[in-house]
Amino acid sequence: MGELLCLEHVSFSYEGGVEERSALEDCSVSICSGERIAVLGGNGAGKSTFFLLANGVLCPKRGTVFFRGEAVGRKKQELNRLRRGVGLVFQNPDVQILGGTVEEEISFGPMNLGLSRKEVRRRVDGAVEQMNLESLRRRAPQYLSGGEKKRVSIADALAMEPELLLLDEPAASLDPENCRLLERTLETLGERGLALAVSTHDVNFAWRWAQRILAFHDGRLVADRTPEEFFSDAGLLNVCHLEQPLLFRMARAMKICPLPRTAEAFERAVAEKGEKEGEQP
Amino acid sequence: MITAVLAAFVIFSLCVGAMPVEAAGALGLLAGGLLLAFGRHSHSGMLVIDIYARRSRYFEWSPALKTAGCVLLLVLCVVSPSPWVPLALALILTVLTVAGRGVTLSHYLALFSLPAAFLLLSGLALLWDYVPVKEGVAAFPLWNGWLVITAEAQVRARLVMARALGAVSCLYFLSLSTTMPEILSVLRRAHVPQVMTELAVLIYRYLFLLFAAYHSMRDAAASRLGYSGFARSVRTTGAVYGNLLGTSFRQAGACFDAMESRCYNGEIRFLQREKPVTVPAAALFGGLAAGAVLGIFLAVRGGL
Repeated sequence: MGELLCLEHVSFSYEGGVEERSALEDCSVSICSGERIAVLGGNGAGKSTFFLLANGVLCPKRGTVFFRGEAVGRKKQELNRLRRGVGLVFQNPDVQILGGTVEEEISFGPMNLGLSRKEVRRRVDGAVEQMNLESLRRRAPQYLSGGEKKRVSIADALAMEPELLLLDEPAASLDPENCRLLERTLETLGERGLALAVSTHDVNFAWRWAQRILAFHDGRLVADRTPEEFFSDAGLLNVCHLEQPLLFRMARAMKICPLPRTAEAFERAVAEKGEKEGEQP
Repeated sequence: MITAVLAAFVIFSLCVGAMPVEAAGALGLLAGGLLLAFGRHSHSGMLVIDIYARRSRYFEWSPALKTAGCVLLLVLCVVSPSPWVPLALALILTVLTVAGRGVTLSHYLALFSLPAAFLLLSGLALLWDYVPVKEGVAAFPLWNGWLVITAEAQVRARLVMARALGAVSCLYFLSLSTTMPEILSVLRRAHVPQVMTELAVLIYRYLFLLFAAYHSMRDAAASRLGYSGFARSVRTTGAVYGNLLGTSFRQAGACFDAMESRCYNGEIRFLQREKPVTVPAAALFGGLAAGAVLGIFLAVRGGL
């Protein structure tokens, strides 16, 4: 697995506030291709800032961002290389939507890359197909429903054909059906080898889906671990104001090993355990 | 309501003298009544125009042809020496727009009421004059002089108002069948300076955001009884507008970030669907333009 993105001792603070509070402090992290990362942390913990830095919208005050081993400076060219390789889906789709139709909207990114019409068309068609937007192609994105807008905003980023996709609280304000759809989408994208980093407040989702957890608290990266390690550390969870996932707790209480990630795996493990206990009088 | 009263009065002023007073009055009342009956006022007019455009059957026509055709017709309206050419064009374009199924007659009239109010007010100023001696086709005493309409002013006002009416109809035909991004892309291809088209795209886009922010803020204020009573309404309105500034600044920042994240390089371009020039569209604009030219020619020759 090759290293895609690397942040080295990156700090950032927003200007213009009364007191200059550091939004992200000394953050070092490296992300490889094909990884599935859940980014946890409360509101204002620094998740969004981390994403904006990783996408090159913000430039670090201190420290360096590397993309595929090359340092990214403040030059437009270098920033665009980062932005092309790392896609970002904003929390609020409304800030992203620009075009008059869904098709136009998705084409904005590829058009900026200076590609030929044919190539732009191919990418737009690809993103439309992946996000299942065929029936909405000619609609005005401003008037779509929340779930549909979210799909459009993911398609926006996919049309850039990134290697790493960052999703900032994609499940926020989605109904359960759209959440399931989103999870399935994330599953498919992951299977295609796209590295994914998803910020969320849902520890159950993080447990089900992620291979790795990044936790932020008060502008600092406080944990970069596997889900098993992360959710076992009660002290750390307390600091981040997070709880253990339900499945994790139940499986631990029942001493099931290895810990099941999905409800189905849990049911199977319980059934097996029951059979074993049945054999022993 | 105001537009309807204005329309009734202006049409009466335009026609008085040319026909019996009763007939002019009836005509004015008829026009006012029609506007009152159909012209329902809508507050989100700006936003609905695009929806109408997408519904219209002319939406599939080449936007370049529509833009060029409408601009040509508009020029013909403005240069026409006779009021009949722009009037006929206005009538035909109105019928066509409504027949295009994008917009109903009542919505069309509602959209029309805004420019109509300006048009009618300027019509009043053109028609009525204040002179010390009684003259003209109608006169009312006022203090030491007379408020009068002269036949000359009537001719001039008829021409100016007909031209304006025709021009507005042309623009409405265009904007009710072509979306803003399409018009802008045509302008871009016509080498209109980039800074203008870019600004227009951004303004168009922020309008949506601003409206959405305004509506949610207003509703939130209304749900806390912010508009109970006149004094409180005024205060709330002020607070909402004040906050709107801050909100829109933040929104604008977030939107710019989102554009940056997709490699925005100072130029907003989209992949546009090809809409070739079709025979019926070309025939329609050709026919209308030819008709208008013929009308102008006849007017110049015969003094119509």
